[in-house]
Amino acid sequence: MKNISILILSFLIGFPIFLNAQSIITTKHNLSISGTGTIKATSESEICIFCHTPHNSSPRAPLWNKNISGTTYTLYNSSTLDAVPGQPDGSSILCLSCHDGTIALGEVVSRTTPIDMTGIMPSKSNLTTDLSNDHPISFTYDAALAASDGQLKTPPLNSLAILDHNSKLQCTSCHDPHKETNPKFLRASNEFSDLCFLCHDRTYWNNSTHKTSTKTWNGSGTNPWAHLESAYATVSQNACANCHNPHNADGKQRLLKSNLEENNCLDCHNGNVASKNIQTELAKTYKHDVYNYSIVHDPTESTSVTTKHVECQDCHNPHASNSTTATAPFVNGFNLGVSGINQAGNSVNPATNTYEICYKCHAGNSWSPSPAFPRLIVQNNVRLEFEPSNPSFHPIAGPRNNSEITANLISPNTANTVLYCTSCHASNNSTGPAGPHGSIYPQILKLQYETADYTVESAQAYALCYSCHNRNNIINDINTFKEHKLHIVEERTPCSACHDAHGISSTQGNSTNNSHLINFRTDIVFPSSWGSLRYEDTGVNKGRCYLRCHGKNHRPKSY
Amino acid sequence: MKTTKILLTLGLAGFMSIVSFGQNIAGSAHDFSGDNWNNTGEICVVCHTPHNAATMQEAPLWNHEVTTTVFTLYTNATSPSFDATASQPDGSSKLCLSCHDGTVAMDNFGGRTNGADLLTGNKNLGTDLSNDHPVSFVYDAALATTDGGLFDPTSTNSGLGGTINSDLLLANKLQCSSCHDVHNGSGLNDLLVVSNTASALCLTCHNK
Repeated sequence: MKNISILILSFLIGFPIFLNAQSIITTKHNLSISGTGTIKATSESEICIFCHTPHNSSPRAPLWNKNISGTTYTLYNSSTLDAVPGQPDGSSILCLSCHDGTIALGEVVSRTTPIDMTGIMPSKSNLTTDLSNDHPISFTYDAALAASDGQLKTPPLNSLAILDHNSKLQCTSCHDPHKETNPKFLRASNEFSDLCFLCHDRTYWNNSTHKTSTKTWNGSGTNPWAHLESAYATVSQNACANCHNPHNADGKQRLLKSNLEENNCLDCHNGNVASKNIQTELAKTYKHDVYNYSIVHDPTESTSVTTKHVECQDCHNPHASNSTTATAPFVNGFNLGVSGINQAGNSVNPATNTYEICYKCHAGNSWSPSPAFPRLIVQNNVRLEFEPSNPSFHPIAGPRNNSEITANLISPNTANTVLYCTSCHASNNSTGPAGPHGSIYPQILKLQYETADYTVESAQAYALCYSCHNRNNIINDINTFKEHKLHIVEERTPCSACHDAHGISSTQGNSTNNSHLINFRTDIVFPSSWGSLRYEDTGVNKGRCYLRCHGKNHRPKSY
Repeated sequence: MKTTKILLTLGLAGFMSIVSFGQNIAGSAHDFSGDNWNNTGEICVVCHTPHNAATMQEAPLWNHEVTTTVFTLYTNATSPSFDATASQPDGSSKLCLSCHDGTVAMDNFGGRTNGADLLTGNKNLGTDLSNDHPVSFVYDAALATTDGGLFDPTSTNSGLGGTINSDLLLANKLQCSSCHDVHNGSGLNDLLVVSNTASALCLTCHNK
């Protein structure tokens, strides 16, 4: 008797095989009355019927039970897209017979009356007929595509990456509509974007901070992962999904979570995930104003930027950035994998030297910012100002190698020192994020640099200059132009009246008239009564000036 | 002992709810005794005869004209995910199609060949079976392995007491009779062999 009961028990246990935990029954795609989701039938008990029918199917395969909408879909496109998505076909067109939102879920071929349903498909599941904000589908993914794109893995792909029998990527490449062992019916876990990387192959990614960071959101401000239904806790786990959204993306091109470029970055780089707060810098008066431009930047734009704009992506590559350090002029981790213009004026990708990134915009582009002051020699191409063959220049593209200046430099600076542009142009907050994001000082200078005529000299007023150049020597005329004290302390003339900080191009100046960064400001210094306005170098700390300034006429004055 | 009895009762009740006994062809969709194209007034005669039946395999005392259609099949070309080997309907499926392909008149039985009552509507599958569930293909453990979305028919319960293979397949092949009981033994809609509530019949074979 006991044996019989065991047999019956095993029969009862064995029979409901369809209650398998991994089956469609427990997923949101069980639209029958037994479904556990919010959208389901009011009385229909069959599960398969919402997609399949054993007879008179349409389309035929795989015994499909829903009509195709017949819509012409708006397809994904972007300036960096190399694939050629066609109108959805294969399995994708079947998925869209619900997920384009044009056909009611209960409207199946095998029933003359639509199945009565409760609940409506949430907007996240309704891709609509505009697929331009969704990951492209129904395109051939072959070796030729991988080769032309350069950022895709070359087939044959990992066996988890499913292409259809026509080598096309379809909805089913990522999703298994019958199984929800991973969120959103994904075929495999997308933690660390493992699923994305079955196909995508990003240069630099393996060493990037966005791959490795274990930072979490502190709960303040905007949820940086609000676009994700089931975000992981850390940057590393969310990986691609930190910024990208494969469906209904606000930023259509490249499927970014926000159409406003900077929001993709600043939702995290505001102190709420990343430790440094860039947002604070960008709220300052002088800044690279990324808020001011939208959909102007394009990754395919000319290295020499033709349309004025600035976005985080102009200087940073989010697939590459990390915290490795470097010494000037070489790019550090923050600026890895970014294009630039080299000292010779040629396009480079990636930039080797940080100044090459600045040259994309500050090297005589039609819209490049004008020099801050009117000067005898006008030049708005900083690349030419920093050319190491110039009569004088600050050492950005190479060292000065001029022993004459060594005596007044503060250690560790020497004649061999090379600086970054960011040695001067950076946040005024010394503990804030590095780089020229924003500052309370004009020209995004990191320290005070007064330029008004009659400025009272102080360590603070010219703090920027004095961070390298020995103030004591300068204002006491030691190892320097012996009238510095007269000019800047007694006459209260700003440094900028005589010195043009970047340099004087050899195409415009010479070593006699333009050594020591001499290029007079014409709003402070005027021609002498004899009509001359120039400086002449006559030896170490010796020279002659022809000019009129503060009521004094040098015609010339020698020292 | 009491527990055993309760279990036994529960087990039987469960079994009964799945397979209803006591139903038969009389009064079912296949009871044509009252149809005006059937002047015999009999039920069985449309398909069977006790004497002088057609001699053909899988044709139990067969009494109806058999279709000669070469069908369009549901193949790997129709659906690339179809892993079985498609073949022309054979066995009992061919007998079903002798009414349900719409080419042979329902009243072409007992030697008659000039009948005119053809099946119409949804029950007429036509000669194009590429929009119908495939039949007459071998469904074995190897197919289940290849497909990945099917249960092993030799080890999976059918819900009728045995395995899929023993209860639902004929000579290892899936046929119309795998889903449909022409004689209405279950009394279910569409003459299904077991209830498809919660798609239980589909999910007997399909591992989804």
